[in-house]
Amino acid sequence: MRLEKCWFCSSTVYPGHGIQFVRNDAKIFRFCRSKCHKNFKMKRNPRKVKWTKAYRRLHGKDMTQDSTFEFERKRNRPERYDRNLAENTLKAIKKIDKVRSDRAATHIEKRLKVRKGKERREAQKELEQSIHLVKAPQVLRQDQSLTLPKIKVMVSQPKSEQNQAMEE
Amino acid sequence: MGGKCPSRKVKKRRYSHKTARRSKFLIKGDDAVYEELQKPDGEMKSTLPLDEDLPGMGQYYCLHCDRYFANVTVRDEHFKTKRHRKRVKQMMGPAPHTQLDADLAAGMGAPDNGPKLMSM
Repeated sequence: MRLEKCWFCSSTVYPGHGIQFVRNDAKIFRFCRSKCHKNFKMKRNPRKVKWTKAYRRLHGKDMTQDSTFEFERKRNRPERYDRNLAENTLKAIKKIDKVRSDRAATHIEKRLKVRKGKERREAQKELEQSIHLVKAPQVLRQDQSLTLPKIKVMVSQPKSEQNQAMEE
Repeated sequence: MGGKCPSRKVKKRRYSHKTARRSKFLIKGDDAVYEELQKPDGEMKSTLPLDEDLPGMGQYYCLHCDRYFANVTVRDEHFKTKRHRKRVKQMMGPAPHTQLDADLAAGMGAPDNGPKLMSM
């Protein structure tokens, strides 16, 4: 029994699932579900369709280089049956799978961290630059508690002073 | 593409796209064309076999679009079209998606064919 990968989305095609298309030059295309088959018939490029593994790999969304990728392979040679080997392999599969999923999770976490930091910095900048939009200047002058207590920004950054001059 | 629909009762639905759909898979796939283009040329242009079923006896062929033309002028006209130029640009780019790419993207290693039996 061989678990093939879908041509379009690279998911595993289990026996009894999906459909197989054999082109007239004897090339085989396997699809895990009708969604992938239809997308193929529409001549879409899996590298440009966002939900496929090929896209995610190409655009750095998923892990690309890892030592755990070396285990699952298409082995085009017969293996002599060995009970101990089979047992050890079954044990190893679970372990490797866990390692791999953990690494994938950390990869995604790391990737999202970059964006979170960026969002925070942008939010801070927006707050500093457009605090005047929150309250009218008259109100700010009357009630001192509404202004930001940070005065050192004005001193340390000559840029912000210029911006204020522009606005006025 | 798309001929008249044989059983049309509603006036608005004029054309059937059945032929367009049918002919979609009569032409070569992207990967087949790409492979043809990767071959060292020279052998291609000189030896186009005579085929009386094809337009222009199969002598005027566009490799990129997998199309036959009636004569040289039509073919040269085709070379100027936007569709052809788009196709050429696409074929100049990276190789089309293959099953091997799909396997690699799924986290599989390269295929393991074992040691070579005939080393000579």
